[in-house]
Amino acid sequence: MSNTHIIGIFDSKSDLLAGIEGAQSKNFNIDEIYTPYPVMEAIDALKRKSRFTTAAFIYGAAAVVGVLSFLYWTSVIDWPINYGGKPTNAFPSFIIITLVLTILTITIMSLFTFSIRARIYPGKKYILPDERATDDKFVILFNKATAGGGFEAVSNALIASGASEVYEKEL
Amino acid sequence: MYKAEVRGPLILGNKDYHQITSDIIAPIDNKTPGWWKVALAISLTMASFGIFALYYTVRYGLGTWAVNNSVAWGWEIINFVWWIGIGHAGTAFSIFLLILRQKWRTSINRAAEAMTVFAVGCAAIFPAIHMGRVWLAFYIFPYPNTRGPLWVNFNSPLFWDFIAISAYLLISASFWYFGMVPDFASIRDRAKTKLKKAIYGFLAFGWTGSTKEWLRYEGLSYVLGGIAAVLVVSVHSIVSTDFASSVIPGWHSTLFPPYFVVGAIFSGFGMVMTLMIVIRKYYHLEDYVTDSHLNAIAKILVFISLIMGTAYATEVFIAWYSGNPYEMFTFFHNRITGDYSFMFWAMVTCNAIIPQLMWSKKIRSNITALFIISLIINVGMWYERFNIVVTSLSKDYLPSSWTSYSPTWVEIGIYIGTIGIFTTGVLFFFRFVPMIAISEVKSVLKPTEITEKH
Repeated sequence: MSNTHIIGIFDSKSDLLAGIEGAQSKNFNIDEIYTPYPVMEAIDALKRKSRFTTAAFIYGAAAVVGVLSFLYWTSVIDWPINYGGKPTNAFPSFIIITLVLTILTITIMSLFTFSIRARIYPGKKYILPDERATDDKFVILFNKATAGGGFEAVSNALIASGASEVYEKEL
Repeated sequence: MYKAEVRGPLILGNKDYHQITSDIIAPIDNKTPGWWKVALAISLTMASFGIFALYYTVRYGLGTWAVNNSVAWGWEIINFVWWIGIGHAGTAFSIFLLILRQKWRTSINRAAEAMTVFAVGCAAIFPAIHMGRVWLAFYIFPYPNTRGPLWVNFNSPLFWDFIAISAYLLISASFWYFGMVPDFASIRDRAKTKLKKAIYGFLAFGWTGSTKEWLRYEGLSYVLGGIAAVLVVSVHSIVSTDFASSVIPGWHSTLFPPYFVVGAIFSGFGMVMTLMIVIRKYYHLEDYVTDSHLNAIAKILVFISLIMGTAYATEVFIAWYSGNPYEMFTFFHNRITGDYSFMFWAMVTCNAIIPQLMWSKKIRSNITALFIISLIINVGMWYERFNIVVTSLSKDYLPSSWTSYSPTWVEIGIYIGTIGIFTTGVLFFFRFVPMIAISEVKSVLKPTEITEKH
């Protein structure tokens, strides 16, 4: 696949949204959008979905089962202690520690999930089409080979939608 | 319908996105100010004194402290609860306001979260050192061992405390750090020197600001925010259970969990106010931390102060209403009057009376007054913890065991040391990290923006 990309630069969120609409109305395939802050409309336009909350729920459910089973094993099977005749399976007093350990588990697992799914980790080699995207510009990226149009067609559509500049770059 | 403008603009000065980045990164780009170096020297001196006091404790044992058979918990537990309380507001502030979608949080959350991390780090020192033989601290970890294997007591609030604080430190630190990743990328992409680009590039974890990243970033924020909100409430409830599950007069109370949680948020918000005023004044960030932000924090403080006053009154009322002579003695003869009455009245004055001044709009718009009140709140909250810990222990059921308590230089030294460690951390935060969340502030620019083309 070609590494040549068409890059459209926008000055504001409203211009970016107009640019996305302009490009999609002409059936150009947007490769990625870079913004200085989260723009939910841009995420929706690319039909990106995340199952992060589902994953977190699964981690939580597994942690609850795991912690309660562990507590049962330590308190009833492995080393039962008789506290003045109280039951060894002291379920109500397991609840708080289960809650806290569940939160700890969800935190650790969510951090790993984020790191793996968003590919964010120390020492990562990244490709940023335009460095101004982390400052004040909104960037739409097209892969020239799969954009569905040549540079001129894409550029015209973006400029008409309010792009401040459009250029080609090897990434 | 009548509509009132609840809050003024969140960002003043008709900024554009680039200006926001420049303003917030300026303290990192500019030369180190002279006051910062002086403050760092003082902080490091305090921290060194604390480290020496810690060494002295480990070298010569807990006999160097003034704690005794009756007052077995002294300044160390007071300071532990005080620091944990301060640490509470950062995450509480950030997370509750995130979940409630309060956009005014964006200018303040970063500093509040930093404060949490440093404060909880300071708090963690105290239970560890209080064990006496700190090198055996690993005994509290639940691991298969050669002593039985005997498990730790999973039903003990002290163990819950250990796990809850570890989880709280991890969640606060990760919430803080991942919040900074997009901002580190902003610094990386503006860096003029190779070294700076390499350091901030490493810290930015390869962030580019793509939709894939933002989508997961938002997911992580809400998941961590949601579960940390539960943790904020449970951590200090558990700290209070360390006290409430005992049979000591003045501690054995179901009021303790909400009383501790609210008190923690109170002291933390006080510290947030102190820090924001310092940031605003010394880094000229008045356009971001506006009078309106401080006004909002002041209103929250007045509200919490009323709850604190109610809690103090409830404790005294219930001591009388219960008819329990030990409870009545503790409250009426060892707190309101008696050896420690100064501490009690200092607590009431600092926490329940002086913050009421902030009902006045004039006071809420006077930055000096707000700064002084925020400091008074933190002093008052320290007195509150002293009241709870020392008065109840010094005179309990057995008059032959009654004793008084005042700290030794070693205990004072450890406390001063933690203040030094905290301020050192905060000063490094001021110097090397964006004090305001750049990407989040940009996301709330629109209501006051003039650069948007419509």
